[in-house]
Amino acid sequence: MLEVQGVEGGYGSVQILNGVSLKVGRGQIAALLGGNGTGKSTLLRTISGLIKPWRGTISLDGERIDGRRPDLIVRRGLVQVTQGKEAYPAMTVEENLRLGGYVRNDRAALRRNLERVYEYFPVLKNRRNQLAATLSGGQLQMLCIGRGLMSEPKMILLDEPSAALAPQVVLDIFRIINRICRDGMTLLLVEQNVRMALLLAEYAYVIRDGVIHIEGPAEALIKDDNVRLSYLGGTVADRDHGLTMRP
Amino acid sequence: MQYFIDLVIVGLSIGMVYGLVALSISFVYSGLDIVHFAHGEIYMVGAFIGVVLFQRLGLNYPLLIVASMILTGVVGVVIERLFYRRLTQGGGGYTVAGMGMIICGFGMSIVLQNVAFLIWGAKPLPFPVSFGMPIEMGDLTLPRSYLWIVSAALVLMIVLHLFLKKTRLGLSVRAVAHNKEIAFLMGINVPLMISVIFGIGCALAAAAGVLIGPINYVQVLMGLGILIKAFAAAVVGGFGNLPGAVLGGLLVGVTESLGAGYVSGSYKDIYAFLLLIIVLMVKPSGILGVEAKVKA
Ligand SMILES: Nc1ncnc2c1ncn2[C@@H]1O[C@H](COP(=O)(O)OP(=O)(O)O)[C@@H](O)[C@H]1O
Ligand SMILES: [Mg+2]
Repeated sequence: MLEVQGVEGGYGSVQILNGVSLKVGRGQIAALLGGNGTGKSTLLRTISGLIKPWRGTISLDGERIDGRRPDLIVRRGLVQVTQGKEAYPAMTVEENLRLGGYVRNDRAALRRNLERVYEYFPVLKNRRNQLAATLSGGQLQMLCIGRGLMSEPKMILLDEPSAALAPQVVLDIFRIINRICRDGMTLLLVEQNVRMALLLAEYAYVIRDGVIHIEGPAEALIKDDNVRLSYLGGTVADRDHGLTMRP
Repeated sequence: MQYFIDLVIVGLSIGMVYGLVALSISFVYSGLDIVHFAHGEIYMVGAFIGVVLFQRLGLNYPLLIVASMILTGVVGVVIERLFYRRLTQGGGGYTVAGMGMIICGFGMSIVLQNVAFLIWGAKPLPFPVSFGMPIEMGDLTLPRSYLWIVSAALVLMIVLHLFLKKTRLGLSVRAVAHNKEIAFLMGINVPLMISVIFGIGCALAAAAGVLIGPINYVQVLMGLGILIKAFAAAVVGGFGNLPGAVLGGLLVGVTESLGAGYVSGSYKDIYAFLLLIIVLMVKPSGILGVEAKVKA
């Protein structure tokens, strides 16, 4: 579904991506892992068109999307949910969701998608007329994911959904992400919470210095010594999650 | 007492015009992250287009307002696309491009003044719309032009409010104003929406120009004074805050009118700035301003 080939890019004259290649098949969950500042968000922003790649190709379902305007890429069914829970704080929950469905012009589809999002995230329905600014961190993350679903995308790029959230909330959100994917979504998931990501994903890429450094099936990566040493340092926080996600 | 009421009425109606221009400047600012220094000239062009349509086609007053808004809006979109887009793409605020945009705005204001001078000449044009007899209310005589100003400005503000709150396009305008990257990721055509915002901002200024025309003359340099007053109004209300701009405009208008009536008419332009200084000393972000955004 998504194919990234030798992508180089960055900000201004600062190169961040030094030839990244990866593939995500239809219906697959792929994880993109790596330390802080290694270019994970930059790669997602390049795929979604917010910044233009300098070299390399990006294609969605065989059609080139590199260098296209972000709104046109959204219309093709690829949506990015950014890091940092960037909802519109001065708008209500429902207005935020309606914005997510901006490219869907017909009211019936909009209402259907709204109901679907409320079904995944019932808490949003209770707070539909509240300003987004009044939501908790976890609810904001749910709002951002829900907003990403509103345009019925084929694929979602999800940037660190677990960042700055309490473990229990992270678990809730990962359960719902899991459900969304089982309902047929294709997902590229960027995570710092490596254990959680590897439990959810089927395939994983590890990025370092702007290139894919390690890749493989998630189970293999969990056992991989390099990954274990670098990223699965066995922090207490990770162990405390009680990692039994599959519902 | 009656003198006082008269002054307040005059102040409120002029204040509505200041408020409308301040609103349009704030609207452009919230959408494009730029302070548009040629906005007084957009107001001037709007007034001239109003006069020309009045003389040539003899349209009635509401139609004049709407027609001038549309035509000036189109002029604004062309200016933005041709001259500003390259700069605003580099970012507004305190970036180098943001500074460039300020200079570019000043340049555009001089260009527009001279273009207007070439087309319409230096002589002030009268804008003799006949509104009919003043309304008598007890001791008060209320010229209908003031009534027109207040009601037309109110209608425009309400329409803008409903547009922003109730329509899909308005929702996307708000999204672009608040965060362009996220708006892009919602599938909104941000470059197009920026044109729409600038066009609406120019249309609002044009409406103010057509509203003020009949009580003043229409002339090439009319944009200078209004820009300064509208800035004072926008800052008093809280820069970038739309209701604040209107409130600031009314306050500036009334202050000015009362000052001219009770203190001295020859210092008319000082009162707005006295008000500005007082408000900035008490609440630097303006009356309805919340946070100091980093924009220039
Ligand atoms: N807007 C920007 N302008 C310039 N450099 C940036 C910008 N955003 C991120 N960077 C730099 O790019 C590098 C990669 O950042 P990012 O992709 O956000 O990393 P990650 O998401 O993997 O933590 C970092 O060194 C960061 O400082
Ligand atoms: Mg990141």
